[in-house]
Amino acid sequence: MSEKQLLKGNIAIAKAALEAGCKCYFGYPITPQSEIGEFLSLEMQKLDLGYVCAESEIGAINMALGATATGTKALVSSSSCAISLMQEALSYAASDELPIVLVNVMRAGPGQGYIYPSQGDYNQATVGGGNGDYHTIVLSPSSVEECALMTYRAFYLSQKYKNPVILLVDGFLGQMAEGVELVKNPYPEIDNSSWILSGANNRDSRKIHSLEPNQDKLNNHIRNLSAKYKEIEKNEVDYEKYLCDDAEIIITAFGSLARAAKEVCNHYRKKGVRIGLFRPKTLWPFPYQELGELSKKIKIFVDIEMNLGQMLKDVKLALSSGAKVSFIGKPVGDWLKLEEMIQGIENIIKENQVASL
Amino acid sequence: MQVYSVPKSIKKDSKFTFCSGCDHGLAIKLVAQVLDELNLREKTLAVASSGCSVFLYNFLDVDCIESPHGRAAAVATGAKRAFRAQKQDRFVFTYQGDGDFASIGLGESIHSALRGENISIICINNTNYGMTGGQMGPTSTMGQITTTSPLGRNEYYHGYPIKAAEHIALCDGTCFSARCALFDIKNIINTKKQIKHAFECQIKGLGFSFVEILSSCPTNWRLSPKDAHKKIENEISKIYPIGIFKDKTNDN
Ligand SMILES: Cc1ncc(C[n+]2csc(CCOP(=O)(O)OP(=O)(O)O)c2C)c(N)n1
Ligand code: SF4
Ligand SMILES: [Mg+2]
Repeated sequence: MSEKQLLKGNIAIAKAALEAGCKCYFGYPITPQSEIGEFLSLEMQKLDLGYVCAESEIGAINMALGATATGTKALVSSSSCAISLMQEALSYAASDELPIVLVNVMRAGPGQGYIYPSQGDYNQATVGGGNGDYHTIVLSPSSVEECALMTYRAFYLSQKYKNPVILLVDGFLGQMAEGVELVKNPYPEIDNSSWILSGANNRDSRKIHSLEPNQDKLNNHIRNLSAKYKEIEKNEVDYEKYLCDDAEIIITAFGSLARAAKEVCNHYRKKGVRIGLFRPKTLWPFPYQELGELSKKIKIFVDIEMNLGQMLKDVKLALSSGAKVSFIGKPVGDWLKLEEMIQGIENIIKENQVASL
Repeated sequence: MQVYSVPKSIKKDSKFTFCSGCDHGLAIKLVAQVLDELNLREKTLAVASSGCSVFLYNFLDVDCIESPHGRAAAVATGAKRAFRAQKQDRFVFTYQGDGDFASIGLGESIHSALRGENISIICINNTNYGMTGGQMGPTSTMGQITTTSPLGRNEYYHGYPIKAAEHIALCDGTCFSARCALFDIKNIINTKKQIKHAFECQIKGLGFSFVEILSSCPTNWRLSPKDAHKKIENEISKIYPIGIFKDKTNDN
């Protein structure tokens, strides 16, 4: 797995899943993520692993509930409107503490929308589209290489915390081919022998359930989950800072759009305007503290997204007083062009009378 | 001489919490006896569903997972495929209500039968949504009065009920599909036999096996346990005939 290969983001995810020890895949076709299921359909059959062309996304995610309960690593992939169909089971998976890895290669919405690239599912992924007090860990890659690395990380974190993990990929990245060197899975295996359902042999029988008629027990369960989420928030926040140290303006962006934002930084650096980029790699937990820290000395922020400002509210929450944030974005279509971003930032520079151009 | 003992696959000191006269308790006991007889307890994963059936996991002393309403066949599919991928020989069955299996979960149910998933399904048909208070379900009979068909089910306003065992028998992946009942000793013995046969189909790797059990819900039917059984004997089993609708083990 070490020489460079030209891979789409979708294929990198599929290959990394196999390398991470994923033994089951359940899915239903939807563009722009179908290559994941297409690729794995042959590979998994060759290896006699568990691949099911499910009858629906509801079927697929519930199969993953069953598979992960046995201690088997399982992957489900889909896109936007179809991810909506899975929200009930995701809420169950969070309550049951089952380590499902779910890939959402986003398309534009709401509703069916279309297969144009978009980042419109930030809210659904980070806030949770299912019922109750729960969280899913959300990882956001910005390159094909990161698609693979974060797939490894998704399996690892899902096992470590017994929690569903969403890999939130934009359609652009899923379809984009890049030369990458796929490294080996760097994460250790997590011992799951204390909770999996494998048959009550030489041990007491176990049950995995979310129904809990006893009010005190239900309260405790939700509080225990909440304590786990606090642990995740403490340990797993991940982000990238690019040219932030001396910056007078900071761009916030996630996913593949953040790469274009780096070009914007480089463009302005050449002109003597010190712009940096802050890119959350975990969208939940969101790096509030780290972004807040930056905003103590830097006061001008520009949030750029391919939606109408979903991450913007988290950015606002993070910023300390006196810092302000402008927004550049559009919900759908061709990725924001460099010129569009530059034009937007030009205005912000003028408004704030930053450095002379 | 001991003539009766609680099955090994029933949790010690467990007391059924179903309404008195409810057939869920008897059905679970039969399942437990079959698990014992086939030596399956230690290698079983039971999939409970939403409905009165969910309490299965309070009584059966085997590993259990509860599935979202209607999704038991999908959860069982995932588990069985996962065991296979891990090269583990495990027994997987679901225990579902009629609403769960044949209404909200019909897609999952039929497709797991069509795929010939090597799992077994026990479906408790009590002709209503029992847990939520006896509303009209996919199996409520013509004329049946429920909380959402207060004037009786009719073909113009509500449409027709589904005969699950017959539909499942039509799926090519189905190995075995039968319907039975619990209203007298003869039928109880027969029900146990069908459950055992269904489980044996899975053990032999023959594909999808299905047993629909006509069961009483005295509380929502507003009948005494005895009258509820009479209703099954005299009315319900005439509409939903007891029998075997497919058995691939009899082929050739
Ligand atoms: C998605 C969803 N819809 C509705 C419910 C509420 N609900 C719980 S059990 C049930 C009916 C169960 O009926 P059935 O499957 O026939 O089982 P029974 O209780 O009759 O044994 C309903 C409607 C739910 N839990 N989840
Ligand atoms: S409501 Fe009906 S099915 Fe549920 S426990 Fe009571 S009698 Fe049994
Ligand atoms: Mg019912």
